[in-house]
Parts: sequence; structure tokens; C-alpha cells
Amino acid sequence: MKVRLLHTADVSPGHVRSAFSGLAPPLVPGEAVMFRGSLAACYDRSRAQYDAFSVLEAVPSPEPDWLNLLLVGADLFVPALTYVFGLSHLAGGRGVLSLARLKPPEENDLTETVLEHRLRVEVAHELGHAAGLVHCVVNDCAMHRSLWPESVDLKNPEFCASCRARLPGPG
Amino acid sequence: MSAPVKLMIVDDEPHLRSSLTFWFREEGYDVLSAGGGREALTTLVREAPQILLVDIKMPGMDGLEVLRKVRETSPETTVIIMTAYASVETAIQALKDGAYDYIVKPFDPESVSRLVKKAAERYTLLSENRELKARISASEPALITAGGGPMAHVLELVDQVAPTDTSVLVTGESGTGKELVARLIHSRSPRRFGPLSVVNCGALSEGVLESELFGHEKGAFTGAAARRRGKVEVAHEGTLFLDEIGDVPPKVQVDLLRVLQEKQVTRVGGNQPVPVDFRLVTATHRDLEDEVAAGRFRQDFFFRIHVFVIELPALRDRQADIPVLAQYFLGRFATAMNRKIGGFSPAALAAMTEYPWPGNVRELQNAIERAVVLCKGDTIEASHFPFSGPGPAAASLTLASAEEAHIRKILSTMGFNIAQAARALEIDRVTLYNKMRKFGIDRP
Ligand SMILES: [Zn+2]
Ligand SMILES: [Zn+2]
Repeated sequence: MKVRLLHTADVSPGHVRSAFSGLAPPLVPGEAVMFRGSLAACYDRSRAQYDAFSVLEAVPSPEPDWLNLLLVGADLFVPALTYVFGLSHLAGGRGVLSLARLKPPEENDLTETVLEHRLRVEVAHELGHAAGLVHCVVNDCAMHRSLWPESVDLKNPEFCASCRARLPGPG
Repeated sequence: MSAPVKLMIVDDEPHLRSSLTFWFREEGYDVLSAGGGREALTTLVREAPQILLVDIKMPGMDGLEVLRKVRETSPETTVIIMTAYASVETAIQALKDGAYDYIVKPFDPESVSRLVKKAAERYTLLSENRELKARISASEPALITAGGGPMAHVLELVDQVAPTDTSVLVTGESGTGKELVARLIHSRSPRRFGPLSVVNCGALSEGVLESELFGHEKGAFTGAAARRRGKVEVAHEGTLFLDEIGDVPPKVQVDLLRVLQEKQVTRVGGNQPVPVDFRLVTATHRDLEDEVAAGRFRQDFFFRIHVFVIELPALRDRQADIPVLAQYFLGRFATAMNRKIGGFSPAALAAMTEYPWPGNVRELQNAIERAVVLCKGDTIEASHFPFSGPGPAAASLTLASAEEAHIRKILSTMGFNIAQAARALEIDRVTLYNKMRKFGIDRP
């Protein structure tokens, strides 16, 4: 499955590159594109966050065998929840992921290596959702649900054998 | 796969319904929604969802009324009430009326995820167990066995101890699958929905290990510009797995002992203890009794972790499993490299069975991978293994084997002092440690 990584201007090219280079099978890099649409309407003044569901609506549906993931620097929420790392259209081929929570402000000494690892894991995670995977019980699988950013460090940016088997593409 | 738990979101606000629906679908639930009380009750009859998330304040029939109707018509259904801060008192009334729990909007993803998962457990426990077993067995080659023998005994011990909260010490040579056993214990325990927090204590210096285990507060030391949760804290409600526990310096042993006794952890540079609840699994390739006798390992800490011991057999002690494992790895690598290799020649099988495998299952896996690369036909021959065939010349052909030989040489020159060897090789300690693992090099 080919991956199109869309990103807003506040995501550094280095992060886009490292997310791209870390893709695990059956995900393969397709293209990285700057997101040109406007997310202004998705901003909620009272919460000072972006509405993940509205942002997701702004992500275009991909062509067959492609997945579209939008990387944003902004913090995301959905109405009933305080925040979300990301949100996907399950099996709909598209998703959105925020970098804001992967590097919380109280962790500003986070090394770039740790952040890159988290980014790769959560990129795989959101793409997995977009491709139809739900949360996985295997603890180090990318599809395991993380409660805190630190818990993301316990996972691998790869799918376990069982999740892998549920995805299309060469064995 | 088992049928997913059905969840229904009842709220008059369409945007909230759709976004929560998307979010819960990612959790693996089958999600329905209803815009009001009447619609909810009709859907309840038709679709029989097991869990309802109901907003307390809705025009027409409100959440409390929905709750009462559900309790009357479908008492086995779990109802969770969603409320705004202002109506918490009504939510408490809801509990009296038989709601499972209530949550205040906006709620933290982790708390709602835990709450709904706990409610769902009643419906999924059996099927989740079955599914998890299937998933784990697909990803744990070191535990594959031909049936009977020492590994089968290990699996029996795992099944015995996993459901309890007892501390487990896993011993065995490097490459025997100690971490896999730890994962298996976690995944068969009641804590399997919680995290498995892993620390490889052998790869870290004392200062880094402390901060990795216990976390640190902002400004605790140079470079600690921010607060960070340690692996002990992250293990809350799950399992803490400390690999290479025999390498933990005495000072950190004391700190760990205190955490185990007091069930709370204080971050480095902090003074506010955080309660933690975890199950401890440790592993080592060392003989801890020897380490205690030599004064390198504290006896009180030893007694604390040496409660239930699982000793993993070396691969040479379970020869009957070698052909099964070899065939498993062959299948995996042949598929990955898109090669048609059916099996092993009798000489290759004999060579594998006779070889002592000092690096155990990990070494076997590496050997098969290498053999698949070298093999030009449809059968693996003895000459494809570095330990047999036309002599050592073939073995030293690959970059990997040259690297391994060089690392072994430097390590023994430096008396296995990791820091010195890493400096000599101009790589960092963790990289060296990983390479030692990869090549199955053990400190003597
Ligand atoms: Zn998985
Ligand atoms: Zn997810």
C-alpha cells in the first residue's frame, strides 16, 4: 500500500522524512506533499485546539491502494474528549496525526531519536487504522493503544504478524 | 475473529456522535449511534448493543429516563452516562438508578478507553483470550516445540504462574527466548490489557538506568530540562519486565527494592511519590546465587525477585525441537526473500542437530537466514552453515561474520569491559550491546 504523507507547514521536513523512511511493510513510501487546504474552520477558539473530525474531513480520499495521512503540528480534539493523538476513517484510507502530544511541553528535553521513534510508531498506527486495523492486544505492535506518549516508546513502528496478515499486500 | 462488542452512542449532537463513533471504531468496537432516547430504545431492540453511552441532557427523553427504560427492558445492558460538569449531581442519581458509571465531558481518552474496556471485558473475556493465544503463538518462534520435552514444561509453568500476581524470574542462556516468556506471562495474565513496560538493565549506565526506571523531574540533573515518567510508572496496571537484572548496580537494587515494598515510585529529583501497581518479571543469563555469594547482588533484593523461577533450556538441550524451529525459520525467510526452498538435506539436518548453538534460538535464526541467502537450489545443504561445510573460509566471506569476529576479538582484548570495547570500536554502548545480542555473544 502506497503512502501519501500530507503535512502542514508547521511540520519540519526532517520529521516528514523520518516518518517516511521508517515505514514498515506492507506500507511503502509514495509521496510527501505540503497540504494546501485551509484548516482555519477547524479551529475551536474556546478550546484552543483543532477539531480532529473536521480536519479529517479536509483530508482527500485516496485512489485505490493508496493511503492519505495528514501530519499536523497542531493539537487535536474531538468534542467529548480532551485530546486525541490522531483520528482515522477506519478502512477509509485516510487519517490525521498530530505531533503536539508526541512531544508534550513538559518533555522538552526529549531527544530527537525518541521523538522520531514515536512519530514512526504513530504514523504506522494511524495508517493501520486507515487501512482497516483496529487496536491490537500485542503490546509492542504499532496498533496497540497507547495511553501516554511515554507508552508509545514501548511499541515498535511495525505490525505484529497477526495485524500484518489482515493487511493487503505481499506476505 | 470473535464478534466485536456493540456499543451505542446516544447524544443529540450529531458532530459529537460522528467523532466518537470514529474514535471507538479504532478501538475495535462495533459502533452504532442514536440522536435521542426514542431512537436509542428502538435500536436497542433491533441491534442489541451491549454497552450504551448516554448523554444525560437531551431534549425530549433525557438520559435518566433512557437509563430507567433500559434497566427495565434489557437489564444485562451496560449503561455509561455522559455528563457536563454542571450536572454531576444528576449523574450520581444515575448511579443509584443502575448506571455502570458516569464520565464528565470532555473526558481523557485514556480514562474513557479504560472504563469502556472494563465494561466490555464482561462480554469479551473468553473470546479475547482465544484470540490473544492465536496472535502470540504466531509471533513467538523460540517457544515452538515438537511436543513434550523441556520447552513444553516451561509452557506449563507459564500457564501456572501467569494468572497470579507472583514475581517471576526467568533464567537461561542468551538467545533462549527469555523476553518472549516474559511477554507470554503478561499476555496470559489478568493484566494483559495494561502495558508491558520493558527495561534492558544491562545496556544502561547507572545514572541513565535510574532515570529510565524511575523517571525524573525537571532540573533533576544536567539535561533534565523536563519531567519524564519512568518505565516503572508506565507499567502501572500492567507488567514491569526487567531484563538482565543481574547487571543492575547495588544502589539501583536498593531503590527497586523500596519501590517493590512501598508500591510507589518517586521520580529522580522529585519528592512526591506516585502509587504504582504492577507485576514484576525479571530475567538474567547470570547465576544470581553466585552473584549474591560474590557480594555483587544484594540478598534481600534476590529474595524479593526469586519467588517463582522459570529456567529456559538451551537449544542443545532440546534437540528434538531443532528441525521444527529450522523449518519454521526457513518458511519465514524463504517467503520474505521470495525463494522456493523446500527443506534441508539429511547432512544439513545432522549438522544442525550436532552443533551446540551457543547463541541458541537467535543464532539458529541467523544461521537459517544466512543459509537462505547462500542457497541457490531448492534444498539447504550443510555447506550453507558457517559451522560446517568446506571450512572456515566460507564463513568469513560475509561482512556480518567479519564484524562478529572483530567484535569478539576486541571484547576479549578488553576483558569484556563494554565501555572500553565500545570506545575502541567507536560505537556507543547500546549499539555494542545490540550487536552482542545479535551475534549471541555472552559476557563470560
Ligand atoms: Zn498487532
Ligand atoms: Zn488508535
